[in-house]
Amino acid sequence: RGRNLWRTGRVRAAMEAVELRVGFVGAGRMAGGLARGLLRAGKVPASSILASAPSDKNLDAWRESGCRTTHCNLEVLQDCTLVFLATKPHVLPGVLQEIRPAVGPHHIVVSLAAGVSLQMLQRLLPAGTKVLRLMPNLPCVVQAGAMVFARGSGAGDREATLLKNILSSCGLCEEVPESYIDIHTGLSGSGVAYVYLFAEALADGAVKMGMPGGLARRIAAQTLLGAAKMMVETGEHPAKLREDVCTPGGTTIHALHQLEKGALRATVMNAVEAATNRARDMAED
Amino acid sequence: AGVLAAHKITASSPDTDLPTVSGLRKMGVNFTVSNKDTVKSSDVLFLAVKPPIIPFILDEVGPDIEPRHIVVSCAAGVTISSIEKKLSTFCPTPKVIRCMTNTPVIVREGATVYATGTHADVEDGKLVEQLMASVGFCTEVEEDLIDAVTGLSGSGPAYAFTALDALADGGVKMGLPRRLAVRLGAQALLGAAKMLLESEQHPGQLKDNVCSPGGATIHALHFLESGGFRSLLINAVEASCIRTRELQHLADQEQISPAAIKKTLLDKVKLESPSLSVSSASRVSLFANKSPSSKKN
Repeated sequence: RGRNLWRTGRVRAAMEAVELRVGFVGAGRMAGGLARGLLRAGKVPASSILASAPSDKNLDAWRESGCRTTHCNLEVLQDCTLVFLATKPHVLPGVLQEIRPAVGPHHIVVSLAAGVSLQMLQRLLPAGTKVLRLMPNLPCVVQAGAMVFARGSGAGDREATLLKNILSSCGLCEEVPESYIDIHTGLSGSGVAYVYLFAEALADGAVKMGMPGGLARRIAAQTLLGAAKMMVETGEHPAKLREDVCTPGGTTIHALHQLEKGALRATVMNAVEAATNRARDMAED
Repeated sequence: AGVLAAHKITASSPDTDLPTVSGLRKMGVNFTVSNKDTVKSSDVLFLAVKPPIIPFILDEVGPDIEPRHIVVSCAAGVTISSIEKKLSTFCPTPKVIRCMTNTPVIVREGATVYATGTHADVEDGKLVEQLMASVGFCTEVEEDLIDAVTGLSGSGPAYAFTALDALADGGVKMGLPRRLAVRLGAQALLGAAKMLLESEQHPGQLKDNVCSPGGATIHALHFLESGGFRSLLINAVEASCIRTRELQHLADQEQISPAAIKKTLLDKVKLESPSLSVSSASRVSLFANKSPSSKKN
């Protein structure tokens, strides 16, 4: 009997995902990335997605994918169960006041706004609302994102599982304590930019040594992709993977010495720290 | 280490006043001022003189070298082929082994590598390995790696002493008495090294195991990284290795007249540490062997 209930629960969860109406308040880059990820993974049909934005500028791309669009935020709340709040942070409090009357106990509200705490979200929404906070990163667009989320007091295991289920289509999705969210920003939200910088520098190095830029950039990208893939698939410590590439007296160890001379490790740690601190500062504003 | 009875060891030196000499005597080692006597009464001959003196020693004892002798040179930068060349005028097939060791052999935690010469058999290498393994780690390598070994484990103890001095300073700065700071610092490095040797984990992983999120250790490590700690160590090993090669190169060139070298160096030798034909060629007290806690093999 227990097994049947489990199976029924799973079937219900699967059906929920299909029947689920997913709304986006705010239709900018991040929202678009998540939606695109969901669509590409086939988790949610385009017709089940409704996005709202003040102007048509952002909404055209959504319509082209088959999603429904509106200029009315309230409509998203009336139509959808799972609602992503993807406005710019400073606009959010105003939007919350606006939609508050339409928020009910069946809603699952997921905020993407950097620096807006669960406490503030819960204060501006009806008591007991199921609120969660999500910090994605840009590669969600290509289903290789890194996302963390934290649950508010009204959200339970069911909501957390649903969200994780839905978002795994966009990449890695882990639940964390709220205090890790700013760290995730420094590591992975902003971290994507560090990787682009590194890729550019790799390519520049190759250009200096005589390779054309376009080819160099493509190879740089593939190098990063391949190295990351090995880390993910083997689960080995990066130090071990690094060692495996370093033949005694060979090219790699010579190059690594240059990186150590430049204190690359410390610089990267500084970057993560700076971004994390900035996220924390911004949250206080 | 109990590998060899003291009376089976013979040591010779021109200068008999040095503390190392009386130390050896007290251990029961046979002592003589004649290098020739040492050679005659030995099967395995460790040449532990300073590198520039090696050619003169070889000239002196060459005639007494017999086929049974295994000549082991510990002299930095002195190649097997240069020793074989010198000895070949006296003995057609001299057995030569070159080794690079380090000072902690004194506490039987040495790091030794050896390379075998043209006429040394596998058993000869194994015999030397057995002897040196009694005072620490010992393994065979190709001769062309010996300079790198010098840079790493030959000079390595000096890097460690420097680190320990600084760690102790850190402890003192934060309020620890000096003696305690030194003791704790040394034990921390000893323990860490032991963990690494006994673990299959990568040192990076072992480091991670110590670093709790947002904790004290990761904060400290950030400072080390900012200071380029890793690259400093890489630089040090590289510099020592390169300098070893330079010195060897200079020695090979033989541009100064041998007679002039001989006079200058032998005078210098009389003033400095002795040339003993036994493996401990340093000024450190030999009585460290007598410490009760012998943590070896």
